[in-house]
Amino acid sequence: MSLGLAHGVLFVLAIYLGLGVLVAVPLVVAGIGRIDPAAKTAPWTFRLLVLPGAIALWPFLLRRLRKAVASS
Amino acid sequence: MSVSYKSIGWNRAKKAYDLTIVTGLCVYLALFLGIGLATHRDATIETLLIRALATAALLMLHVILSIGPLARLHPRFLPLLYNRRHLSVTMFVVALAHALVALVQFHALGNVNPLVGLLTSGTGFQTFGLAALVILFLMAATSHDFWLANLSPRVWKMLHMGVYLAYALIVLHVALGALQAEAHPVLAIMTAVGMVWLLGLHVVAAMRERPQDRDAARERDGWIDVGPVDAIPDGSARIVCAGERIAVFRYDGKLSAVSNVCRHQGGPLGEGRVIDGCVTCPWHGYQYLPGNGRSPAPFTEKVETFDVRVLRGRVYVNPDAHAPGTPVEPAHV
Repeated sequence: MSLGLAHGVLFVLAIYLGLGVLVAVPLVVAGIGRIDPAAKTAPWTFRLLVLPGAIALWPFLLRRLRKAVASS
Repeated sequence: MSVSYKSIGWNRAKKAYDLTIVTGLCVYLALFLGIGLATHRDATIETLLIRALATAALLMLHVILSIGPLARLHPRFLPLLYNRRHLSVTMFVVALAHALVALVQFHALGNVNPLVGLLTSGTGFQTFGLAALVILFLMAATSHDFWLANLSPRVWKMLHMGVYLAYALIVLHVALGALQAEAHPVLAIMTAVGMVWLLGLHVVAAMRERPQDRDAARERDGWIDVGPVDAIPDGSARIVCAGERIAVFRYDGKLSAVSNVCRHQGGPLGEGRVIDGCVTCPWHGYQYLPGNGRSPAPFTEKVETFDVRVLRGRVYVNPDAHAPGTPVEPAHV
């Protein structure tokens, strides 16, 4: 891989993961019950376990949240 | 099967499983480092640690990939399947440790960003390793039941089938990396043996399963002859195939048919038993009422149901599925 491409890939990845942290942390802490009612009263250890996946897959979770809000 | 999610549903079997993994891993790493230091005087501890973690992760991956087909070949391997996700997450952690130590050893403390250095290095074998690590991370990060429910079983399964792509990338990582520097053929032979073992195991398991996936012959009215009533033991099922597998259960003098595929992780419901009036999956114990395919309240999982009839001592099932959770009047024996 060329130097320019490597820098580009890492830049895009940093933006994606940065957005992931901004979206996933409040979602997992406070909003996860809107997405899945079974998660509403789940302990903090569960939230900690799903946080990495939430940061990596935040677009999926946002879409689920949008659907949940629309149907409520 | 949760009303509210827990982090981990600990039980005695899980604790024993995890203790075995951790103990085995510690023993392996200690032996590798000890023997390595004794026999390779010129090797640094960092190099040995990188290799110890790499080989440990690769061995664990071979075990993980073997469990599925082995469990299909003989039920004695089923206990290994129950908590395979714990083994998989541990394997990812070991692989991550290998990657971090290697990153620091070979790319840190210079004037180039270590990740840039990794991506632009030589033959690109490190990029294959990184790609495999990303797949393994996504699998580990989505191993909780929350993701199975919210990504949908189809998307979740597709993501987790990525383990095979990760394996191929790791083989490339090894072939273009460690094997290039290794004078002794033992590593190449072990890599080849591992590939042959996994491929052979999957082929044998597939050949064994294939006859069961042949669609059963249909009667003129489209129904499928399951067989004599007496051929189905009480509390058990007979499985027939019509596109998907259908499990026909006999219980309390009645017969009901549900999809053979458990909503949880696709376990074979037909290989389970009726316990406390519920079809019980042999993999993780998920339960469904045979009359309507619904999990007992307050649980919400549902599977497809099918019409069943008994004529002249033989059982017939209509392969056209009802929507998951649809009540169906059972046939009487």
